[in-house]
Amino acid sequence: MTVRMDSEAQHIEVHKFYSGTVAVVCFLALVLQAFLNKFNTHFQLLELPLLVVVYFGLSRRNSVSGMFLGTLVGLLQDGISHTPIGLYGIAKAVIGYIASSVGARLDTEHPVSRFILMFLFFHIHQVVLAITIHLLLASSEPFFSVHLLIASLINSAVAVFLFAGLDRLRR
Amino acid sequence: MDVPSRQRPLVLLVALILAQVLLLAFQIKRGQDVRLIRVWSAELLTPPQRGGTFLLSKIHGAWFGYIDLRSARTENKRLADEVGRLRLENQELGSQAAEAGRLAKLLGFRQANADAPMLAAEVIGASADSNSQTIFINRGESDGVRRNMAVVTPDGVVGKIFEAFPHTAQVLLVTDRESGVGALLADTRTHGVVKGTGDPLLWMDYVTTEEKVPAGERILTSGEDKIFPKDLPVGTVASTKPGRPFQTIQLEPAAHLDRLEEVLVLLTEHSLASTESTSGAPSAQEKTKNPDKTPAQPAKKPAPLAKSAPGNPQKEQQ
Repeated sequence: MTVRMDSEAQHIEVHKFYSGTVAVVCFLALVLQAFLNKFNTHFQLLELPLLVVVYFGLSRRNSVSGMFLGTLVGLLQDGISHTPIGLYGIAKAVIGYIASSVGARLDTEHPVSRFILMFLFFHIHQVVLAITIHLLLASSEPFFSVHLLIASLINSAVAVFLFAGLDRLRR
Repeated sequence: MDVPSRQRPLVLLVALILAQVLLLAFQIKRGQDVRLIRVWSAELLTPPQRGGTFLLSKIHGAWFGYIDLRSARTENKRLADEVGRLRLENQELGSQAAEAGRLAKLLGFRQANADAPMLAAEVIGASADSNSQTIFINRGESDGVRRNMAVVTPDGVVGKIFEAFPHTAQVLLVTDRESGVGALLADTRTHGVVKGTGDPLLWMDYVTTEEKVPAGERILTSGEDKIFPKDLPVGTVASTKPGRPFQTIQLEPAAHLDRLEEVLVLLTEHSLASTESTSGAPSAQEKTKNPDKTPAQPAKKPAPLAKSAPGNPQKEQQ
């Protein structure tokens, strides 16, 4: 179902999902991320938790729920990774907030715009991670590298198909 | 303070970030982890991984055992039955042989160190991020697993228990950037420290440039880290780079960390027999370089692998 909210000068389409969809999809993304990495280290290039945070942020267009969803997914990701608790929580809270804000202003339904947005979000996520690691952990994490560029292109390509699949879960 | 409604989400975001920055600062300052969040995350997310591992093995068996057989029937009933049966048998035998090979290796290692308590565990998952090198195993506190216990395979060192949860445990692999293992060169017994880099290869530090380190030389644990028993294989030298005062040595890990399926958790820091001795013959290095080392005596009645008696750590520990 699509709800149109007429405000001063803009139409904001807010997509609703069947109850429990957001929780189940985020849960599956985290489980799959850890599960796939077990079989092949190349799956480490994928960032499924980031993809779902971006998708629900862009679709639901509510910056408060976007940032809380990002924080929760990030903290759970920290919980099953060897990273200090809060590292991914901060990065994904920022992404959830920006994705929700962007979703309310731009066309996020077209595959090309989704590809470009995911590419940008991946690098913003990496920059927030790198800044947090530099400032708080006094460690080095690259802001940009060829490896990250490849990872961002792969994630953007996956996002186009994943988002189209997730669109079917809308009410 | 009255915050305009349009700015409330931004204020909330700043508050959320600030709370997590404080959480990070607390962990760094105190050197403590927020265990509760890790336990909740692991308890929430590892059961599906455990189920997934089980399900995949069943699907794999069903696929090769049933679907292959059915497709063969369509070509020729009699021949297909025969071919299917043979293929099924062949695959079962192949699969059993591969599993038996792995388990025999584990059992050999176990029997060679019969007096050292250890626990077989299955790898059920890996880290959810690309910055850390960790795996999850299906053994936890209820099986006697504790933090900082060594995890090995008969091939060599795998890592250490980073966090033990009630029914699972997280293992920090030696390739993780925060990993460190007290090590020595097998031939000269020169000590150093092996560190992970986040990449498949390891680095060995604190070996002076004057020391000649040929490629292919084996690196063993020194036992100085109080985690890994002495003389376990860590890796082999891949390349060296001179430096002042220490050279940098790049190693290839001895354990196949990219395809781990079963591992052993050492429930003590007890010295183990080197893996060469599990195949019957002690290594030349053992004979010449470490004559004082008393090899572990095989027990008269070797205990079964701990995997066969899950949930009973008392039976598994000797």
